[in-house]
Amino acid sequence: MSLHAIILDGLLGIAVLACWTGVVGMLRMRHATQALHYLSFPASLGIGAVTAAVFLENGFGAAGLKTLLIGLVLLAINSVVTHASARAIRTRQLGHWEPLAGDAVEWLTPPPPPEQQP
Amino acid sequence: MSAMPSQDWFWAGAGITAALAPCALMCLRGGPERRLVGIEMAGMLITIAMILFTMAARRTVFMDLPLTLAIMSFGGGLVYARFLEKHL
Repeated sequence: MSLHAIILDGLLGIAVLACWTGVVGMLRMRHATQALHYLSFPASLGIGAVTAAVFLENGFGAAGLKTLLIGLVLLAINSVVTHASARAIRTRQLGHWEPLAGDAVEWLTPPPPPEQQP
Repeated sequence: MSAMPSQDWFWAGAGITAALAPCALMCLRGGPERRLVGIEMAGMLITIAMILFTMAARRTVFMDLPLTLAIMSFGGGLVYARFLEKHL
């Protein structure tokens, strides 16, 4: 097995592992906003490994440059869509997305009783 | 072009396509917020899988399809998020 094949298999393995880690993490999280964090695994590590593998295989050809473009698009998209989704989830559950007085910013823990509030 | 057999790309694509099953599970259960996350994850995985299958088939001309899907899933994700925020 040549060095080229070993490196290629390693990169493809990293891509598959990154995607599965993201998916399993997404499933395991209880809250939707927690699950949103796991979108970043395929959007960064996964597509990054695939882009490196395509460059390794095809060099600086059209396929490599298009894959790089796809990687940049996914990287940019992921942050914007994740933020928009988190905002939508918060608005849907609290009626507003801005942090207002009395809001439980950390939903998982109820706000302290009024007399103990800093 | 190296003489690398292309089935490595194929098996990697198959491995990532298999990861769509948990995404379907996420989309079919739970509240609409969790389903939204499932849809967004599925869009990303399909984009990556299409790149791998394009390389496996050695048809790099088809690389435009995952590029188009990556851009379109951006709009789709935002529309779903907006719909979830306002109308659901």
